[in-house]
Amino acid sequence: MIYEQMQHAMLPHATHDEQARQNFVQSLKVHLATTVSPGNKAVYEQRAKPRFEREHKRTPRDRHDVRRVMKDEPYYQTWSVLLRTSQEMMWDAVATSVERQLPALIRQAKTTGKTLGSLTLDPNLPIPAYHTAVDIHCQPGAYHTETTADDVAAGAIYDRAVHVYAMGRMGPMNDDIGASLAAYVNRQYPNVQPQRILDMGCAVGHSTIPYVDTYPEAEVYAIEIGAPMLRYAHARAEAFGKRVHFSQQNAEQTNFADGSFDLVVSHILLHETSSTAIRNIIRECHRLLTPGGMMLHVEVPQYQGMDPYDAFILDWDTYNNNEPFWGTLHDMDLVELATSGGFAQEKVIQTLIPSAFKMARSRTGLFQGGDFGGGGEWFIFGAVK
Amino acid sequence: MAKKAKGKKPTFFADPQVDKLMGIVMALAGEVSVLRERLNTVERLAESKGVFTRQEIESYRPDPHTAEEREQWRTEYIARVLRVVHEELEAVERGETTPESYEEAVRAVSS
Repeated sequence: MIYEQMQHAMLPHATHDEQARQNFVQSLKVHLATTVSPGNKAVYEQRAKPRFEREHKRTPRDRHDVRRVMKDEPYYQTWSVLLRTSQEMMWDAVATSVERQLPALIRQAKTTGKTLGSLTLDPNLPIPAYHTAVDIHCQPGAYHTETTADDVAAGAIYDRAVHVYAMGRMGPMNDDIGASLAAYVNRQYPNVQPQRILDMGCAVGHSTIPYVDTYPEAEVYAIEIGAPMLRYAHARAEAFGKRVHFSQQNAEQTNFADGSFDLVVSHILLHETSSTAIRNIIRECHRLLTPGGMMLHVEVPQYQGMDPYDAFILDWDTYNNNEPFWGTLHDMDLVELATSGGFAQEKVIQTLIPSAFKMARSRTGLFQGGDFGGGGEWFIFGAVK
Repeated sequence: MAKKAKGKKPTFFADPQVDKLMGIVMALAGEVSVLRERLNTVERLAESKGVFTRQEIESYRPDPHTAEEREQWRTEYIARVLRVVHEELEAVERGETTPESYEEAVRAVSS
């Protein structure tokens, strides 16, 4: 079953062949996630683990032990090269399509709406080293690179690629992560009516929009370091008729006053930072929250308590998909992280929440590399101030 | 726009040339799929509108202008199939040729 992305004024058009190229990548990804990737576990149990035990006279202790022994398995090598290739083909298929129509997309971004929310760019904002060292998740140019005036390419590429990458599991508006968290907050805290909400690291604002719908009385702000993402995000939100105030800021240190927000959220932001930056971000969340306000960050589950094989297969992106902080984050003590940022230990939240988008395609029920959204659940980490 | 993502590309097989070959094979598989999908569209439209028969396809010969257009298309097609070769050169030009250059990125964000 194919789930189509919802059309909107900013979404790049695909020619027949461009669409077919993206269709192929998506079908390849579904096949790898559902049919090839799970086979790695059998290879591990039947070949790699016994080999490790013979060589080391003990069982593998952690994801690093598993990786060392799995890297020599031909089945794992083939799956890995196919998954990496699918990632590169995805960006290539989408970027080629966006590049062809970039002048039209830039014109569209300038003329779409602009009556509800706002866009504030800061050309002098330093792009942090953790975004310039390598291009995160292999998107050429990452979030921040601009190749022409008023560039929106990175955003246009990201919006289409998220739908292909997640195999449609983020829903027609790519909003499953935000929709899942907004629904959780609304269900868990029915008496909380946030007045001001901040989404950190918003990319194209795809996770931001559910908060506008869930809390129509609230003022919704969203920050991001990449200007081409923000131009696209603003035009996209306007095209959907949603009021969001976008600004180009680093979540480590923003220009909002103390106590500006009663809800601060992020969606798969934390793993794209660094050990230093994440502490700054948590401290900044604490500063920005009103007393009783809440920060909530969505990721996939932590490795603590996880079987070494499961941690290994979820950790594939750290070494093979330009996600250098992924593994370090998932090993972190999040209670310690929250308390070091000023939150009380007993106010820390760590739980799994269900995906809002129930009809998603080909769920595997697994958390594994290359199978984004396959688990049907998201891990949330946060705290109440 | 840059075609290759910044960062040392991992290889998985003992001989990295096999990784490269897999990239080329999958690009070809993708383009076969694209072609098959387009052809299927054409055949279905033709069939539903009663436009042409299979015998007419068999007896078709391109005129010089059409032949030129096809040559241009094949040139772009080959560049797409050989994407990994071009990106390997981008990596060499940027000096992203050793695993250490990527491991440095892991260390930089983890310390």
